[in-house]
Amino acid sequence: MKSFLSLSEVQLRRAGRTLLDGIDLDVGKGTLLALLGPNGAGKTTILRVLLALIAPDSGSARVDGRDVGSLSMRERAALMAWLPQNSPRVEALSPLEIVAAARYRFDEPRGKALEVATTSLETVGAGGYASRTVDKLSGGESQRVAMAALLAQEARAWLVDEPANHLDPAQQVRTYRFLGERVSAGTTIICVTHDVNLLRHARNSGADQIRVVGVSEGRIDFDSPLDGSDLGGELSNLFGIDHTPHGDGASGIWIVGGEAPS
Amino acid sequence: MNRRVYLLCGFSLAAVIVSPWIGPALDGEAGALILRELRLPRALVGVLVGAILGAAGAVTQSVLANPLATPSTIGTSAGATLGVLVALVFLDESQVAGIPLLPVAAFIGALAVTFLVVAVAVRGQARTEDVLIAGIAITLATGALAAGIRFSADQLATFQAMRWSLGSLAQIGYDRLLLLLPFAVVSVVGMLGLTRALDAMAAGEERARTQGVDVVRTRTLGLGLSSLGVGAAVALCGPIAFVGLIVPHIVRRLVGSGPRILLPMSALLGAALLPLCDGLARVALPGREMPVGVVTAAIGAPLLLLLVARRRR
Repeated sequence: MKSFLSLSEVQLRRAGRTLLDGIDLDVGKGTLLALLGPNGAGKTTILRVLLALIAPDSGSARVDGRDVGSLSMRERAALMAWLPQNSPRVEALSPLEIVAAARYRFDEPRGKALEVATTSLETVGAGGYASRTVDKLSGGESQRVAMAALLAQEARAWLVDEPANHLDPAQQVRTYRFLGERVSAGTTIICVTHDVNLLRHARNSGADQIRVVGVSEGRIDFDSPLDGSDLGGELSNLFGIDHTPHGDGASGIWIVGGEAPS
Repeated sequence: MNRRVYLLCGFSLAAVIVSPWIGPALDGEAGALILRELRLPRALVGVLVGAILGAAGAVTQSVLANPLATPSTIGTSAGATLGVLVALVFLDESQVAGIPLLPVAAFIGALAVTFLVVAVAVRGQARTEDVLIAGIAITLATGALAAGIRFSADQLATFQAMRWSLGSLAQIGYDRLLLLLPFAVVSVVGMLGLTRALDAMAAGEERARTQGVDVVRTRTLGLGLSSLGVGAAVALCGPIAFVGLIVPHIVRRLVGSGPRILLPMSALLGAALLPLCDGLARVALPGREMPVGVVTAAIGAPLLLLLVARRRR
C-alpha cells in the first residue's frame, strides 16, 4: 500500500515539554486512521505537524512523498484539509460565506465558489440554513458547516480533530457514516477521537481500511486494525480503564469501564 | 441584505453630493468661487480620507481579528502626532521639497511607528493579542514622548500641535487633493484586493492557513496598505477620530460581517460620512468652524451605541 501521509522520527519540544517523542506513522491512500489517546498525548500536535502549522525540531513530515515544509500554501491545501477541534470565529459570517472561503486555493470566479459551497452544504444536510449567520447555529449545525467546508476544499486527505465533539448521538453516528463514505470515495482520513465505538459506523458505510493508533505521551503506543484481536487490551492499557468487548464482528462494541452485560 | 446594500449606496451618493452645499448660502460669483475652490476640493478630500479610514478600519479589524482594532490602535495616529510635534518644536523650515513641513513630518512619524508595530505583528507566529498589546504599548510610549515634548515646548507650538490633533479638512485645496490621490488609490484598491484571503481568515486564522492563505503576507499587506493610506490622510487632515472604528461596525450591523462586503461598504460609508460631517462642522458653531474630528466623534459614538443596543433585543 502506498503511503500518502507519513511522519518519520518526529521530535517536538515546546516550552521545555516533549510533545512528540519519535513519532513514526504511515497512512496509506484511502485509509481511515483513528488516533486515540488520553488528553495531552499529542494527537492534535500530530495533525498540526502534518499540516505544517508547527515545524518539528527533527524528523520529517511528508504528504504524497513531499516534505510538507517545501510545499506552497495552495499545494498543501490541495492535499490536506483540516477540521480543527474548535473554530474560533472572528466575524459572524454565513455558512455560505464560510464554505465558499474554503475554496481559496482555486482560481475561480465567485459564482463557481458559491455554487460548490451550496452543493456542499446540501450534501451535508445544511442547505436549510446556508444564509443564517454562524452565531445563530447550534453545535450540530456548525459541525455540518465545517464538514461542508472540508468537502468544498476538495483536498485528497482530511485531518479531522474530534469531529463528533459536542454532538448528540444521532449526529455522531451521522458524522462517522459521512467519514466512512468519504473514505470509500478515496479520501484519506486521519481522525482524532476518544470513542472507538463510533468507528464501526464509518466501517458500515464503506471504510474497509480502518486502523486504530494509540498515542501516549508523544509516542505511538500501538497500531492495530479496528478488528485486531488484541485491541481491547491495548485500549485498556492506553487509557488505564477496562475496555470490555461486547458482541462481535461488525456489531461488536467496547464497554468502557464496566462489565459487559451477560 | 441586498436591499440594504443598495440603500447604503444611495445614501452615500446623496451624502457626497449634498455635502459641499452645507453651510452659508453661496450666491453670485463669489459663491461659485467658494464652491469650486474651497468646498469642492474639501468634499473630495473628505471622500478620499473617509474611504481610506473606513477601509483601513475594516482591514485592521479583520487582519488582527479584533473588533476594537483601529488604525490608531496600531500606532498610526500616535506616530503622526509625534512627527508633527518634533517638526513644530525642533525644525525651523516650513517646507520640505515644496511640500509643507507638517504633513511630511506626520507621514514619516505615522509610517515609522506603524512599521514598528507591523514588524512585531508579522514576526513569526505572533498572536493577534500580542500585536494589539504591542500597538498599545508603542502608542503609549509615543504619547509619553509627545507629552514630554509638548511640556517643554513653547505655547505657540503646543497650540498648533493641539489644533492639528483635532483633525480638520479646512485649508484643503486641489494641490493637497492631488497629493493624497495616489496614496488613497493604492491603499484602498490594494486593501480591497485582500478580501478573498480575509474572508477565509474570518473563519479562523489557522484554518485559513490550511486552506492555502498566506496569512503572514495578508497581514503585512493589510497593515502596510492601511498605514500607507492612513499615514497620508493623517498627514493632511490630522487624526480624525472614530471613523476607522465606527464605520465598519455600522456596516456590520447593516449589511453583514464578511470582509468581501464589509471592506467595500466601509470604504463607501466612510467616503460618505466624512464630507457630511465636515459640512456639519461648518455650520455647527455660528461664525466659526468646528474641527471635523469633533463632529465625527459626536455623531459616530451615539450611532454606534444605538446600533449595539438595538441588537440586544
